[in-house]
Parts: sequence; C-alpha cells; structure tokens
Amino acid sequence: MSVAIRLTVNGERHDLTVGATETLVSVLRDRLGMTGTHKDCCMGICGSCTVLVDDRPVSSCLLLAAQIDSQSVRTVEGLERDGSLSPLQEAFLTFGAVQCGYCTPGFLMTATALLEENPRPGRAEIVEALKGNLCRCTGYKKIVEAVEAVANG
Amino acid sequence: MSGCRFTVARTAAEAVAGLAEADGEAHIIAGGVALVLLMNEGLLQPSWLIDVSRAAELQGIDVADDGAIRIGAAVTHREVAASARLASVCPMLAEMAAEIACGRVMNRGTVGGSICLADPQGDPPAALLALDATFRLAGPEGGRDVAARDFFRDLYVTALTENELLQHVRIAPPPTAHRGTAFGKYAARQAMDYASTVSAAVSLARDPADGSMSDIGLGLGGCGTIPVWPQKTEAALRGRRPDTEAFAAMRAALAEETAPIGDMLYSADYKRHVAAVILERTIKAAYRRAGGGGPDP
Ligand SMILES: Cc1cc2nc3c(=O)[nH]c(=O)nc-3n(C[C@H](O)[C@H](O)[C@H](O)COP(=O)(O)OP(=O)(O)OC[C@H]3O[C@@H](n4cnc5c(N)ncnc54)[C@H](O)[C@@H]3O)c2cc1C
Repeated sequence: MSVAIRLTVNGERHDLTVGATETLVSVLRDRLGMTGTHKDCCMGICGSCTVLVDDRPVSSCLLLAAQIDSQSVRTVEGLERDGSLSPLQEAFLTFGAVQCGYCTPGFLMTATALLEENPRPGRAEIVEALKGNLCRCTGYKKIVEAVEAVANG
Repeated sequence: MSGCRFTVARTAAEAVAGLAEADGEAHIIAGGVALVLLMNEGLLQPSWLIDVSRAAELQGIDVADDGAIRIGAAVTHREVAASARLASVCPMLAEMAAEIACGRVMNRGTVGGSICLADPQGDPPAALLALDATFRLAGPEGGRDVAARDFFRDLYVTALTENELLQHVRIAPPPTAHRGTAFGKYAARQAMDYASTVSAAVSLARDPADGSMSDIGLGLGGCGTIPVWPQKTEAALRGRRPDTEAFAAMRAALAEETAPIGDMLYSADYKRHVAAVILERTIKAAYRRAGGGGPDP
C-alpha cells in the first residue's frame, strides 16, 4: 500500500507516493537520484547514510520516509551554495580528510549539524559529535582537524 | 511496493483503535530505530504500521514540584539528555540518555521504543527498574498501570498485550533529600557497541547520621535475558556503608542474580565480572551524589 508524503529536500518540495516500508535512504537515492547519501550497514552503525531531518542528524537507513511526512531533509547535495563548496567541504579538501570517500557525506552532515548548533566546538566536542561515524581508511585525525579549522574560523 | 499500511495516530486512542482494527497484525512504530533495523535484516515484514511518534499523550517531560516525573513514551533520548530539570532531579536519567549510541540514534530513538523492545541490554529499562518506575499502558478497556519491575517477562516478552501501547512512564518523588542516582556503562567501542554492553543503574539514599545506605534500587543491562532487577543484591547492600565488606556481599549476591548472554565480543563470565565492577563504581557515584563524599570512582 502506498503513502502520499511531502518532503522538503534541500529546500525543494517533493510530493511523493512511497511504499510504507521504504526507507528514507532508498527514497533519496532511488527515487530522487540523490546518490550522495551512501548506504552501507543498514543497521545505524556506520553513519554513512547520515542526513539532517529538521536540522538534526539521523540514520536515513533506519527511518521510513513515511515517518517524516511534511518534514525537511538536508543531504550532502545541499551543502554547496551557488556552485561553491561549503567552508566545511573546502576544509575537508584542504586537510585531506577524504580517502576513499565512502564515509565522507555522513561525516559532512554530522559535522554540519554540530557547527550549526555550536559554531565554536572544542576538539573534545568535535570528537564526541563524530563518534558514531566510521571511517575505515583510518582517517579520523584529518577529519577532526578539518572540522576544527572551520570551528576556529 | 509492499502491501504494508501506514497510519499516523494523533492520539493514544487513535493508536488503540488502530491496534484493535488490525487485530494483532499491526506494529507500533515510534522512532523506528529498532523496528526498521529488523525490517532491513529481513526479520520483520509488517503488514500495518501505526506511527505514534506524534501522538499527543505520548509527548513531553513533566517534573512536579515534589520531584515526581512523567515522561511520554514518544520522548526521544535526545530530549531526556537535554532536560535540565530532569538532570537536577534525577541525574541518572540524563546521564543514561546521553550515552545512548550517538546523536543519530538519540535524535530518533524513544523511551517507549526502548522499553517495549525490551532488549536485555537496553539502558532505559535498567534505569527505570532502579527507579521503580510505573508504566501507563493504554488499551481497549482504558488505561492500566504496570510496575517496571513487573513488565519484563522473558527474552523480548513484556506485559504488553497485542492491543496495548505504552503511553507514559511515571517515577515517584525521591524518598528523601539524601538520594543519589547514577548510571554506569561498559562498552568496547564507546559509541556503538550496544549489542555487548553491560550497564548498571543505581538509586539510593544515604543516612546522614551513620552513612548507611537505604532505599536502594538497582537495574542492570546486559546481565540476563531481560533487563535485570537484582533484588538480592539490593538486600545485600541495605543498611551498610559502601565499604569493602559491602561490596564483597554485593558481588556474591550479584553472581547469583546475573546470567549474561555471551556474545561475539564478551563471554558470559566476562560480562558478569564487568557487571560487578560497573555496579560498584556506580554505587560509589550515587553515594557521593547523596552527599556521602569520597573520591571519584
Ligand atoms: C546503532 C544502534 C545503537 C544503539 N545503542 C543503544 C544504546 O546504547 N543503548 C540503548 O538502550 N539502546 C540502544 N539502541 C537501541 C535503541 O536506542 C532503541 O531500540 C530505540 O530507542 C528504540 O526506540 P524507537 O522509538 O526507535 O523504537 P521503534 O523502533 O519505533 O520500536 C521498537 C519496538 O517498540 C515498540 N514500540 C515503540 N513504541 C511503543 C509504544 N509507545 N507502545 C508500545 N510499543 C511500542 C515497537 O512496536 C517495536 O516493537 C541502539 C540502536 C541502534 C540501531
């Protein structure tokens, strides 16, 4: 059975008819073609599917699209402004915080939410906020440094 | 597209009506963190989901002047962790919620979802056992109260019948001004090793005259097939000061009352050992908050 929902994704309204059990990550990737949000463990453990719902990070693999009717979603595709990367994205490049890149969108969204809630987090706060995101290229140091650079603006 | 129905309940009554109409075929969904994981793993193919995350009676945290607490079932771990009022009346709850997984899980996962899922290692159930909380259930015949200490029956089996839902949790005011509460947890990967965690929740009162402990409430996660309420361990500590002898008695009683499930990371024996260490530390922390002094554990 299908459910009619309205989502605002990166500021753009979408009226969608979804299956009751379709996850948000599938709707983003398979219906809206927004493949920036990565799908990996599907158990909420790795963090690569992290998106912001009403500005708070969530695992889009553990969330049905039907659960967030009329709410707003932000994905990695929404970070750039007028064709320019966000300061955080720039910092990821500068600090080499990207290796294989699979975990990157999740880290970017988690850190974006942190910086919006607390624009000047200290190192401990950054590490705490990122603790649920896994990078298997062992690149945490550079990721933390990139976020720190933005925080120290 | 799946044949599953999805309805949003605006009130507890709407959810109860939906459950009755579905005649045992519906699942309540709150945050979805646990339920969608089961669906992703192919362990659950629901035919009807009733979303209670926005139901009116399931919202909000209220703390009365006397310290009595009401927490709506759909309140998220994030809300519990962020409530300054709750943290001042019952620090254990804020401490517990703040250590659940990470921000992503805290933002969606709910108190009611944790209770009704009844994971043996769940943190909210352990805390609510220690606090002797009361669960308000809504059902076709109206509401009924079930004590947390009566709610968890067997592995993933609770006192809920298929036509009922959890509406809110109530916690009585502290028995004395000299109460201390604390929560402790052990996990290898601090953020996400949920499946293997061992946790301890402690509520106790300290007699200002002789330093003895009374009104002891304990709850344990990861120590059995259900969240464990270790009554003999409480009795072993009652009336004593938190000294070497008291903790020896605690360990002896605890060994009788815990039967952890060994897993990929930790054996049952190891978890039993860790439970004693964590419980002792957490008792010391609660005692300190009750005005008992002493060094940080
Ligand atoms: C990666 C990860 C890490 C985790 N770490 C921790 C941790 O550290 N500590 C911890 O305690 N938990 C942890 N959990 C578990 C998680 O926090 C809980 O399972 C979650 O809070 C459940 O809440 P929910 O609202 O998402 O439940 P849902 O998934 O919506 O529901 C769970 C179950 O409860 C039932 N239910 C929900 N609400 C009600 C209600 N009001 N009345 C009746 N039935 C209801 C549903 O039908 C379902 O059976 C973790 C989970 C994941 C995925």
